[in-house]
Amino acid sequence: MNANTGTDILEVEGLGVTFATDTGDVPAVREVSLQVRPGETLALVGESGSGKSTVALAALGLLPGNAHVSGRVAVGGTEVVGSGEDTLARLRGRTASMVFQEPATALDPLTRIGRQIAEVIRNHRPVSAREAAAEAVELLRRVGIPEPERRAAAFPFQLSGGQRQRVVIAMAIANSPELLVADEPTTALDVTVQAEILDLLRELAADSGTGVLLVTHNMGVVADFADRVAVMLHGEIVETGPVEEVLLRPRHDYTRRLLAAVPRLTVTGPAQAGSTAAPPTPEDPTDPASPVVRLRDVSVQFGHRAGAVRALHEVSLTVGPGETVGLVGESGSGKSTAARVALGLVKPSGGAVSLFGADLRRTRGRARRRLLSGVGVVLQDPVASLDARMSVAQCVAEPLLVHRRDMRAAERRSRVADMLERVGLEKKLAARGPRELSGGQRQRVSLARALVLEPRLLVADEPTSALDVRVQRTVLEVIAELQRELGFACLFVSHDLAVVQQFAQRVVVLRAGEVVEQGPTGNTLLQPTSEYTRRLIAAVPVPDPVVQRRRRAERGNSTALAGRGVTA
Amino acid sequence: MDILWFLTRRVLQALAVILIVTVVVFCLLHALPGGPARGILGPQATAQQIAAFNHEQGLDRSLPVQYVYYLGTLLQGDLGTSYALNEGVAQLIGQRLPKTLVLTVLSALVGLLLAIPLGMWQAVRRNKPVDYVVTGLSFVAYSTPVYFLGLVLVLVFTQVLRWFPSQAPQGDSLAQVFADPAALVLPVVSGAASMIAVFSRYMRSATLENLAEDYVRTARAGGSRRGAILRRHVFRNSLTPVVAMLGYYVPVLFGGALVVEQLFNYPGMGLLFWSAAQSSDYPVLLGCVLVISVATVVGTLLADVVQRVIDPRVKAGRA
Repeated sequence: MNANTGTDILEVEGLGVTFATDTGDVPAVREVSLQVRPGETLALVGESGSGKSTVALAALGLLPGNAHVSGRVAVGGTEVVGSGEDTLARLRGRTASMVFQEPATALDPLTRIGRQIAEVIRNHRPVSAREAAAEAVELLRRVGIPEPERRAAAFPFQLSGGQRQRVVIAMAIANSPELLVADEPTTALDVTVQAEILDLLRELAADSGTGVLLVTHNMGVVADFADRVAVMLHGEIVETGPVEEVLLRPRHDYTRRLLAAVPRLTVTGPAQAGSTAAPPTPEDPTDPASPVVRLRDVSVQFGHRAGAVRALHEVSLTVGPGETVGLVGESGSGKSTAARVALGLVKPSGGAVSLFGADLRRTRGRARRRLLSGVGVVLQDPVASLDARMSVAQCVAEPLLVHRRDMRAAERRSRVADMLERVGLEKKLAARGPRELSGGQRQRVSLARALVLEPRLLVADEPTSALDVRVQRTVLEVIAELQRELGFACLFVSHDLAVVQQFAQRVVVLRAGEVVEQGPTGNTLLQPTSEYTRRLIAAVPVPDPVVQRRRRAERGNSTALAGRGVTA
Repeated sequence: MDILWFLTRRVLQALAVILIVTVVVFCLLHALPGGPARGILGPQATAQQIAAFNHEQGLDRSLPVQYVYYLGTLLQGDLGTSYALNEGVAQLIGQRLPKTLVLTVLSALVGLLLAIPLGMWQAVRRNKPVDYVVTGLSFVAYSTPVYFLGLVLVLVFTQVLRWFPSQAPQGDSLAQVFADPAALVLPVVSGAASMIAVFSRYMRSATLENLAEDYVRTARAGGSRRGAILRRHVFRNSLTPVVAMLGYYVPVLFGGALVVEQLFNYPGMGLLFWSAAQSSDYPVLLGCVLVISVATVVGTLLADVVQRVIDPRVKAGRA
């Protein structure tokens, strides 16, 4: 912290950023000071709206036109605040470069990736187009893109999310920068891909002594990657220190609360049998007396003939009454499709689905509607899944209007009010529109709507993935509490193994549309029998730098033994 | 899915659309009060004369029969005979279509060449005085009817300034049309005005949208300068939606030609259509509408093909 400022590659002193909007000035960052030394990684953590991304963009002078910046930012001795576009253009991509959150949109969709990398090279070095193209291929090889000569001619849409992020990284390191700013570089990626990208960034930083400013909300990533941590709250830094200090012995109250809310994956190694951490299994999972939902050898195919995509292949799973089953897997594994089959929204091309004992394929018309009224749904994006033109009360009342048409208005109102109270929403919010609520409040509204018919099954598809950890925790607590009160079963779809471990009694692991393994959460996630589940668990970074360092070393050994790394 | 299969499918779709158009136009024109006989023979014609005419022209047969007969002759390249001019419709259109194409294609080219840079410039200078001025002018140009704009242009440039002749080039061959380029200026400008207005708006919003895209930020973070980003990335990305709109704009161009040709006395298809409409020259009307709808379908087809060339994602069926 108190190093000679002359050696710092990034110096930020008293940075303030205010955005001018139609409704007045919005302060985003206040009095932020930080330094990054060569070869060091500083993690900037905080919840959404804390201003961490604003600091990252300010470091390269990339803030939008309505931002008013005060204070001082210097990169490699060059002043950023107040400098003209010319100075900044010379700096960007050479002295300092950036990796962004969304690899899906970070690249020009109409330009071949080789050309996009070559552009960054030629922005700063007087090389011929041919030399730049050859260098681009070398960079693609360096970031681990297979067949780089051929891939250089690919368009971004022809690559996977992880590969696109590698291309963005190749662009960022094209001119060997001294500072790399990474804004949530792995948030949009699966855990196994995240682990690879973090390994790649770590290698590159170690090789060239590049300083890294890592912006993230994921404490596991911080523990995995950072040397020092700065915690941001409401635009200010509330705590700074070495990673062990901040994550293991936080001083500030906010940091403590933040860390307490992070769901932790219990990872007693496969050798140590630890069944104590596992939640109790309510009944024998293999054959519950009368399952709420049962999928037997369900296959789902999208499209026809040559263009067909196999979404599910002979998937069997059951959810018993009152039981919570976690459905985990990486993107494209078919976990959402399986949930939709249970909801009757996707018609399987093979196999049988029974809901509350009735065959869903043979039930039609009114009987099917009555059957499905016993299922509540909560989806990932509460903004998209609530009608913006309805009030909160109307949103929650809608299922009653559809399925309980004979219910009196007064009774309906009292049911809605009761439900809103149960999910912990104040009465005065009932008249508001969904857009006037915070993300956590919106998700509570979704939950109230899902439960107002007192369903026997709740299907929750990534219900907390869009939320900050502290909000995630309260929403999960509300679901768990209501489940105890109302006794519904829950099919819980999530990519987050730690959340599933805390929340589900049983877990089903999917990969490429097939069940890899399933069983009680305690056994399956602590002593996985399949190689895939082992790799999945090994890839999850835990928010303890000491433990995470050991896990990383173990992972390195096991992947070395297994030959090549995982590609999702 | 390769390009051949894509083209075959799109051409088949286009043919189906054209077939539907012939049915619709056929029905509409038969629904006109009095029918073609009254239009040809005039208000003094007796009932017998009309019946005789209808019988002679096959107009007393059932509509489906007439339609099938019409389609049959159409396939032989025969569009029927004009009642008023007593000449083959195919020949009449054949003479005039090239001239109309010259007018519309020139209008479209001039319009696009001005509109695209204008729209990009506006987007870059968004909410600055230039943007407001150009936006204002665009709305004026867009909301001014072509005949009024044409009249104003004629008044200013032929009467007050005397820069251009008030008549478009006359004569039947294309050589004669191009022999007098000065005479083409006013008709082309009249036709291009609304095109500039509309497409500069499209280009402005497409460019604005693209300037806000993440890839622009990535390029800036890589040290690319504004001009280079606009040229290398934003331009092409903004062009795709504009190209898609171009196909749908073909009938608007022909509609404009209808007025412009009348105004400048330019002997193209618009003028033919105009006089045919006034004399209920039903085979000519049907022929013109058919040609325009074929042009529209071909236009959208071409736009699709061009878009497929510009945007690799279309090929993969992702966009």
